[in-house]
Amino acid sequence: MTDQGTTSEPHTPELGIVRRWIAKPEFGPLVLLVLMIVVFSWINPAFASITNIGNALTFTVELGLIALAMTLLMTAGEFDLSVGSVFGFAPVMMWAFFNAGVLSLPLAFIVALVIALAIGLVSGLFVTRLGIPSFLVTLGMLLVVRGTALWLTSGFPQRTWDAHDQWLSSVLVGDFYVGGLRIYMSLIWFILLAFACHYLLTRTRFGNWIQATGGNVGAARNRGVPTQRVKVILFMMSAAMAAFAGIISSIRVSAANPNSGSGYELEVIAMVVIGGTVLTGGRGTIAGTVLGVLILRLMRNGIVLIGVPGLAYNIFIGAIILGMMALHAGLERRHNTGT
Amino acid sequence: MNAATPQAFADAPLVEMRHIEKYYGRVHALRDVNLTIRKGEIVGLLGDNGAGKSTLIKVLSGAVPYTSGEIRIKGKPVVMTSTNDAINAGIETIYQDSALVPMLSIARNLFLGRELCAGPGFLGRLDQDRMNAVAADLLRRVGISKNIPPTTPIGSLSGGERQAVAIARAMYFDSDLIILDEPTNNLGVAETQGVLRFVREARDTGHSCIFIAHNIHHVFQVVDRMVVMRRGTVVADDLSPKTSTIQDVEDVITGEHLVI
Repeated sequence: MTDQGTTSEPHTPELGIVRRWIAKPEFGPLVLLVLMIVVFSWINPAFASITNIGNALTFTVELGLIALAMTLLMTAGEFDLSVGSVFGFAPVMMWAFFNAGVLSLPLAFIVALVIALAIGLVSGLFVTRLGIPSFLVTLGMLLVVRGTALWLTSGFPQRTWDAHDQWLSSVLVGDFYVGGLRIYMSLIWFILLAFACHYLLTRTRFGNWIQATGGNVGAARNRGVPTQRVKVILFMMSAAMAAFAGIISSIRVSAANPNSGSGYELEVIAMVVIGGTVLTGGRGTIAGTVLGVLILRLMRNGIVLIGVPGLAYNIFIGAIILGMMALHAGLERRHNTGT
Repeated sequence: MNAATPQAFADAPLVEMRHIEKYYGRVHALRDVNLTIRKGEIVGLLGDNGAGKSTLIKVLSGAVPYTSGEIRIKGKPVVMTSTNDAINAGIETIYQDSALVPMLSIARNLFLGRELCAGPGFLGRLDQDRMNAVAADLLRRVGISKNIPPTTPIGSLSGGERQAVAIARAMYFDSDLIILDEPTNNLGVAETQGVLRFVREARDTGHSCIFIAHNIHHVFQVVDRMVVMRRGTVVADDLSPKTSTIQDVEDVITGEHLVI
């Protein structure tokens, strides 16, 4: 082609389906996931068994729920390190209220969620009103919340085995069989919330504000987008989702341990960034996050099945994070130059 | 609101700023600033760094509160406490680097904060098709439609194209006053001419503009009148590009003309 100068840079929409697919941030994680499934089930056919898939999916959702809310928050340019501690704290509160006979289980559930919302509100206000980076605010919050959980319980787990005759526990973690596949209600919740978050982020006015807030906060503010309110709401959502996930987990394992959820914040952030959401905000993808969640979960499950020592798990996770970041950085550079 | 406007206001200037004072703590940033913008004129706002141009613009766009004084729009006193107040009053400000969101599409940028939605409030469903259609039409009108679909992310446009999108947005929302903060910075020659063309087009369709640029040559090419600020106050407000030379204006900006 002849040189036509810079103003007629070809912005061709008909780039070809294939190339546009490859340019999507979800493409890398999708390929990796398919590759993992193929390799794992080739080495050990048990990987693809119904039982194993059912199990893997069950444990997937608890971290996955937090990852959904974290995706929205990170798209707005912030992140939350306190989710792991809220994951441990909220069920402790719920079961403490219930076991003491103060509240019925559904009421205790609501109170626990409200406490989580309040935690998110405080984090959000510190970040937006005082202008303190979310890393520091939520690190502080992590310690406060975890410390409170340990102090209130003297470090002992709360009893949860009264749960089984409660309708709430059936709604949250009850199970049923589809063919030979045992499906937990928590998986249904994850799927529903994944669709809801995807819709929220890509199709609604609020989602547009989330992306604008993370993409260029000054521009969003100048256009009258309430950027501070957007962030505060997302901090509250992320805390509430962590509480919800923690409560589900406590019923499933029949224990509300004040220590549970330690280190989850980093695993969740890893899931989100592997999926293609940008750590600094502006672009986020729920579909990518779902892929990221599955990748980390199936990796944990798969490497044990193919005989790699479980202790080596982190090596693979770290390598995946590094590899995916390199890929996304490459896509980003191409994206910004408009090719 | 317009129906209730008394006849007397019809002839009032678009914007009148009277005795505007602004302190940042103990720093006296604006001193008794008086500025009038009439309908359909392009006013160049000039001044050295720290002369108070940015502060004046931020006051007028609702980004910072002023300490005292009065702002009237079409003769009516207004209170500006937020950028939304200014936008609703018909004042659109195009900041150099904080006007657009690079990762969002052209269409979404055009409608940012004013999204076309089915359903009210936060959870309103974006009417993406209609926004794209309007954006495509607008791009054609400002003449940058060449192969650029409205779904293109702003980040892949050139600097001139971005300014054009921002100006197109102001025109679409029918802002009475478009404030352009350094719109020609970092642009090539051809792109600068394009932006100047958009500014003239905005005026020709009845919009007023305040044009801020360090490059006085660009200002001379497009404005009807020049206002010069020095040390937080307006020192000249009726310099014409037809009767003054660039040297004259530079002297006023630096204060050299007082030395003679």
